[in-house]
Amino acid sequence: MLSKNLFRFSGSLLPGLLIAGGFLLLASVLLYQLAAQPDTLSLSLGPRFLKILFWSTVQAGCSTLLSVLLGIVLAWALSHRRRFRGRRLYVAFLSSALVLPTLVVVLGIVTILGRSGWINDTLRWLGHSGFEPFIFGFSGIVIAHVYFNGSYVARTLLSRLESIPAEQHKLTRSIGLNAWQRFKMIELPSIASTLPSVSITIFLLCFTSFSIVLILGGSPKFNTLEVSIFEAIKLDFNLGRALGLALAQLAICAVLIMLGSRFSKGNQLISVPSGKQAAWHDSKMLVAIQNLILFIFAVLFMLPILAIITDGMAADFISLFTNKNFLTALLTSLIIAALSTVLVILASTLLASAFTTLATQQRLGSSRLSQPLLKLLGFSSTLYLAVPSLVLGLGFFLLARRIGGEQNLWAVAALLTSNALMVLPFAVAALAPAMVKSANRYDKLAFSLGLTKWSRWRLIESHLVRPELAYIASLAFCMSLGDLGVIALFGNQDFITLPWLLYQKMGSYRTDEAAGIALVMLAITLAVFLLLPGLFGNTKHKSHWRQHA
Amino acid sequence: MFGKISPQTAKQHFKSAGYRLALLITGALTAGSVNAADKTLTIYTYDSFAADWGPAPGIEKAFEETCDCDVQFVAADSSIGALRKVQIEGAQTQADIVLGLDTNIAEAARETGLFVEHNADTSNLSLPTGEWTDSTFLPFDYSYFAFVYNKENVEKPPTSFTALAAMPDDFKIVIQDPRSSTPGLGLLLWIQQAYGDEANEVWQQLAPKIVTVTKGWSDAYGLFLKDEADMVLSYTTSPAYHDIAEGDQRFAAAPFEEGHYMQIEVAAIVGSSENKALAEDFMQFMLSDTVQDIIPTTNWVYPATTTAQGLPEGFEKLHVPENSLLLDGIEVEKNRNAWIDQWVETLGQ
Amino acid sequence: MLSLQNVRFAYPGSETVYDFSLQVTAGEISCISGRSGSGKSTLLDLIAGFQPPVSGAIHWHQKDFTHLPPDKRPVTTVFQRNNLFEHRNAIDNVVVGINPKVPKQGHDVERAKAALTTVGLQDYFDTQVTLLSGGQQQRVAIARAVLRDAGVILLDEPFSALDQTTRAEMLSLIRTLTTKSARAVIMVTHDLRDCEAIADSHYVIEQGTLHGQSIN
Repeated sequence: MLSKNLFRFSGSLLPGLLIAGGFLLLASVLLYQLAAQPDTLSLSLGPRFLKILFWSTVQAGCSTLLSVLLGIVLAWALSHRRRFRGRRLYVAFLSSALVLPTLVVVLGIVTILGRSGWINDTLRWLGHSGFEPFIFGFSGIVIAHVYFNGSYVARTLLSRLESIPAEQHKLTRSIGLNAWQRFKMIELPSIASTLPSVSITIFLLCFTSFSIVLILGGSPKFNTLEVSIFEAIKLDFNLGRALGLALAQLAICAVLIMLGSRFSKGNQLISVPSGKQAAWHDSKMLVAIQNLILFIFAVLFMLPILAIITDGMAADFISLFTNKNFLTALLTSLIIAALSTVLVILASTLLASAFTTLATQQRLGSSRLSQPLLKLLGFSSTLYLAVPSLVLGLGFFLLARRIGGEQNLWAVAALLTSNALMVLPFAVAALAPAMVKSANRYDKLAFSLGLTKWSRWRLIESHLVRPELAYIASLAFCMSLGDLGVIALFGNQDFITLPWLLYQKMGSYRTDEAAGIALVMLAITLAVFLLLPGLFGNTKHKSHWRQHA
Repeated sequence: MFGKISPQTAKQHFKSAGYRLALLITGALTAGSVNAADKTLTIYTYDSFAADWGPAPGIEKAFEETCDCDVQFVAADSSIGALRKVQIEGAQTQADIVLGLDTNIAEAARETGLFVEHNADTSNLSLPTGEWTDSTFLPFDYSYFAFVYNKENVEKPPTSFTALAAMPDDFKIVIQDPRSSTPGLGLLLWIQQAYGDEANEVWQQLAPKIVTVTKGWSDAYGLFLKDEADMVLSYTTSPAYHDIAEGDQRFAAAPFEEGHYMQIEVAAIVGSSENKALAEDFMQFMLSDTVQDIIPTTNWVYPATTTAQGLPEGFEKLHVPENSLLLDGIEVEKNRNAWIDQWVETLGQ
Repeated sequence: MLSLQNVRFAYPGSETVYDFSLQVTAGEISCISGRSGSGKSTLLDLIAGFQPPVSGAIHWHQKDFTHLPPDKRPVTTVFQRNNLFEHRNAIDNVVVGINPKVPKQGHDVERAKAALTTVGLQDYFDTQVTLLSGGQQQRVAIARAVLRDAGVILLDEPFSALDQTTRAEMLSLIRTLTTKSARAVIMVTHDLRDCEAIADSHYVIEQGTLHGQSIN
């Protein structure tokens, strides 16, 4: 009976499991490439391993703590101020933090906070002597991390806070709880189940951070493992050390992910009931505080973006758009991003339907196998965050060296793979709950009507999860467009992407051109991210999309 | 910026942009694989050498006139980066020549076994170090490392490393990573030669002054020009760029009492090259007056030979160190890893 | 006695105007039914203070509380679901009704225990409420409502998620408590059998107003 049940679902289960396994297999093959090189003399971690580990942990810990605290404050204020002009845009911008190109934002942050940045210039203009440079090093890394992840936390928690049932609001009002008591009794519990997984995700992102640490790191002191891997490959050409560090990173992250999954009780991804929302009816004082919070965060969030726009407007766009390198990079980036999007959509759909099959089976209590498989699936989709994309890249490089063939095609393969691995955790997390929801609603109907695979997908899922697919598409496109990662190894003048070109221009003191490229990247990202889901997600489910966005 | 261009030129620009875009769409992902000439000479170098404003375009044009070939400069983010790129690519590499290493890293490059003899006639070289005997690495320019500052921002520049360490707390410098950049390695060796066993203490005193360590020279110089630091590790010849190219006399190199470490930049032919004859021609061409006259006003260093034309006007104003330092390449290679590990350890405290 | 005199209300952008008049004597249960969307919940929101009326007045024992905030009204509500703070135990959930600081011991906790005993939950003081059955969870909510010093208890379809047996038990519990403590109870339901079982009067909402009469 058990096996029969699994068998019935195998059509939607097998491809997803194959994809999950396939990616992991690919990752190990690529890692093996490093081990098999004659240049790899011996596996080592380098003399500074423990120090790197210590500082990465401290850095990621601080970044996570600050991101979560600020994210909670912002989500709290935003969930209480349910109606104001521009709220939708505010929330949309928060969602976009996940996809804003790292380099672009870092450039903006330096323009604001640098020694001769906007703030220091203003201070000097006011007669103050200005502050010490602090943007390079620990504080700079943490600031940049909090910028990205704080917004991500706020956006994630906002959906949780907004799904607090209306009755609970009424209850606290009729009992007469004050703001702190309400927070403790209903708001904190509503986000409590999400906090561990969000924190772990952010910790992983900061722990393995690459571009931000590469640019703002200051000295070798605050290197992350990922940057050390980059240095081992690119500066020392010590493949044994690169492999050792990569394995260490994988092991540490795997332990973290397992710890994280132990914290989250039950299967969070199944059914998030959302009641009618009720207004908060806060005191005037509290409303003022909330408005102040929203204002301050809006300024903090917008300043780097404004800096990019201001600096970018001064760039010479005619020469930029007639520059062969720029146009090649633009086109290459767009093509890569489009291909990555297709790949991510395919892979995440298959992964999510395998997940759904297992999750609903578990719900029906029909299989012993489904529980461990489900765990494995969840584990592997998060583990992608821990695979050092540089090592993947190098693996491809070495494979190319062994097999031969057009270098640039290998570069495309490496980019697509690392992009997919980067986006998949987020994509699956957005898609799986929607698929589970639709399965819960339509499983019995579909079986009774005898709908299978294609016809079922066409009739049911393709409509129900369209907003999520649109969201994932924009996520995949933007993240792929903005990522530096692997290209830092593969970049050459025949194969350039926008982030790589920007990194080069930032390096050489072509600040005008850098600002122009940054503005173009920002414009594409915001346009795609803010408009695409609106175009493809049908209006009926628009609110649905926003919940995940 | 738009104001500078007349509507007519703007129109042409857009027209040519459209044409280029069409071309690009057809060949975007395989760009660079189609060439008019029979042979392509591929040269890996560091970014600022290959840049539009660097020496590469001039050299490329001049050499292509004589060789019936296509010269391609491939820019890595630093010169050591160019070497690593060849190492990573192994036998598959497209590189015929690696250009821009210096005598300090040459021994390390020699040990990879990737390079072969240049067979060039070196009789016209006129380096301050005297006769050149290395048959693999060919020098093409030189300069001295120095800290460059803006005279308007810094009234009394430090005159030694000790004086630098004693500057006020808010006085900041930006330097390069010795693992990736030859100036970074140069500074490491500079302090090493000047202070010997006490070098590490000097670094400890300097550490609080360092605002950031960049991967390459151009990152650092960019930060300095953006006023993120008061001084940048560069060359005694860098102020010539501002003076000659920009008519800006504000920049100067700070003379240090310890003397200045010298950098001799070299090029070498990659053993796996299928165009060795062409590569050898190019190496000899690097020492011709044509190239040697291009170098001072594009790479902003001294040429390796005395050309008929002589140094451009403005170079005479530069500080020439009385005491120039240079460690023997073999000794550098023997100790390089240990010194770098020590450096990482000191800065990573 | 609870009395509503021409309490008018309209949702922004909606044409429907509600106009409610109603009297419920202390110790009596009044049952309100009507179609979905007829305004049953709106009526309760107006009495509880979750929506401000446009005009009219609401009194309890001749005291006007039309414009008081929800927590200052002599009113308490038991909802169909989401009545409880899920991460807390039964005592916490009851004691929060009289002391928002949720003390762990003292007079208020003893009162909460007494109230829980009244509804038959003396064995579940320290149980986290998610581990209780649906009927037990509603008992916790009722215990809290009774403990609160509120003359008016509003029941918003409180038993519609329960099975028949539990439901009958709950109805008789409500009947007993109402009579014993002289509260005015308004129960909204779509099940007429509930009304017949325990209500003293029955109203139907149609076109924004209440129609009805005393049953007994």
